[in-house]
Amino acid sequence: MDRREFLQLIGATGAAALTASCNRFNSVSGALSSPANLVRFPEKTEMILLTDRPPQLETPIHYFRQDLTPNEAFFVRWHLEGIPTSVDLRTFRLNVSGHVRKPLQLSVDDLRSHFEPVSIIAVNQCSGNSRSFFEPRVPGGQWKNGAVGNAKWTGVSVKSILDRAQVKAGAVDVSFNGLDVPPLPSVSDFVKALSIDHARNGEVMIAYAMNDHSLPMVNGFPLRLVVPGWYGTYWVKALSDITVLPQAFSNFWTDKAYRIPNAPNGTEDPKNLAKGTIPINRFNVRSIFVRPEPDQTVHSGIPNELEGVAFDSGNGIRRVEVSTDGGVTWADSRLGPELGKYSWRRWRASWTPKNRGHYRLMARATNGIGETQSTAQWNRSGFMWNVIEQIDVSAV
Amino acid sequence: MRNKTARLFQTAAIFALGVGGGTKLNLTPQLKRDASQATQVVHQRVDNESVHTITLPHDEPLFGPGPGREEFITACVVCHSPRYITMQPRFPRSTWLSEVKKMKDVYGAHISDEQAAKITDYLVSINGKADAGNAPRGTYGE
Repeated sequence: MDRREFLQLIGATGAAALTASCNRFNSVSGALSSPANLVRFPEKTEMILLTDRPPQLETPIHYFRQDLTPNEAFFVRWHLEGIPTSVDLRTFRLNVSGHVRKPLQLSVDDLRSHFEPVSIIAVNQCSGNSRSFFEPRVPGGQWKNGAVGNAKWTGVSVKSILDRAQVKAGAVDVSFNGLDVPPLPSVSDFVKALSIDHARNGEVMIAYAMNDHSLPMVNGFPLRLVVPGWYGTYWVKALSDITVLPQAFSNFWTDKAYRIPNAPNGTEDPKNLAKGTIPINRFNVRSIFVRPEPDQTVHSGIPNELEGVAFDSGNGIRRVEVSTDGGVTWADSRLGPELGKYSWRRWRASWTPKNRGHYRLMARATNGIGETQSTAQWNRSGFMWNVIEQIDVSAV
Repeated sequence: MRNKTARLFQTAAIFALGVGGGTKLNLTPQLKRDASQATQVVHQRVDNESVHTITLPHDEPLFGPGPGREEFITACVVCHSPRYITMQPRFPRSTWLSEVKKMKDVYGAHISDEQAAKITDYLVSINGKADAGNAPRGTYGE
């Protein structure tokens, strides 16, 4: 049932009824510092619950032992309460309009049968992945490392669609809107834009399949924009409208939200916030520990496998170094095969703790152009976390 | 088409709720028609996979009484789950106040200044901590 519309209806009958309606659905008392709360949404496996309305669901780390993150475990992040819960493919159309000669209305079947299919393996990462690690803490989705996933996306390049629509001279930006709707007329619809050159670079695509299956509804069924190497905020879900614009796009979600300090690695001083900001854009370089997981117990005197993933915005991971003594000494890990420049790359290292006790493990990735992870980082929005990864484990 | 289908389901749910709860709903002819169509949609979903529908679970925390609770329920929970509060670390009043102002001035929530102050009181009472400066320590149970 659509709670937003339910509330709107019930709300008309007065605040008392509204309060009663909330009580009716409250099943769990609010535990403010409870451990990870697992939840199961439709078409999804058990995931870490951040929020239920709209849903924000985090992937448990163990799923990153697989190169491709299973659809049912892929993270979920919506902005507006009115998320799509039903799509009729007989009537659904992707509308292409604006500064074009031939506006298009395309069904999913049209996309599947009248355009050349393309596939790419690419990481999608939320701008605020790992936000909960920033100090001082910042408001927002309190993700750990699971607001990211790597999938094979299959669909149609935006370039081929725009070519079919015949973009007029003088196009500047292309905006992308989905089926989600704001809960109130005063709330801005979630629409994002790319420059015309970016949209037409041949890599930006519209996916109708994720790991060779339809997308789960909460991951953007039936179509999702794929912007390789760029943060997830641009990967518009349930994509329904593409509009070519002869001027720069402007709305709340671009002008005020999803902005980073105009400084190296988007970093600023909590006591002296940056004056200038720019829209968030490409991924920086980062790694994630997959095994062991934080606070896990390992065995002394025998080899333990350390494993993780690393990625950047498309230059490729050249090196991942690992430290097992809190950063005093470093050694190269073994890199797994490259699955594509926008995929993450697996790394492994073998480690034999000599003694029992506590160890701090660290991982530091470097990409093909020598960029590496930061040693310190902060910004007011908690975006782009890429501090050198570290986890504490006990050897027994 | 999504909105329409969602509306049909919602109408059906309201209908079922009314009946199940023993409440007499005064259905207009339009609502009756919608409810009847909603039944057809359910059947279509079974018969024709071109209509893809999910039902979202609701798993929202319940907060106890406190000053500002009514304002919180009315102004905040209409747009999002209270989990947006519970997933945050404890913040001082200044942070919660700026969050409420952000919702009002930037996101478009309908909140008067008076309501904003009450909502902030409530947020601090359920997930606050003392300000480094002037916040009354201990009042809000850090």
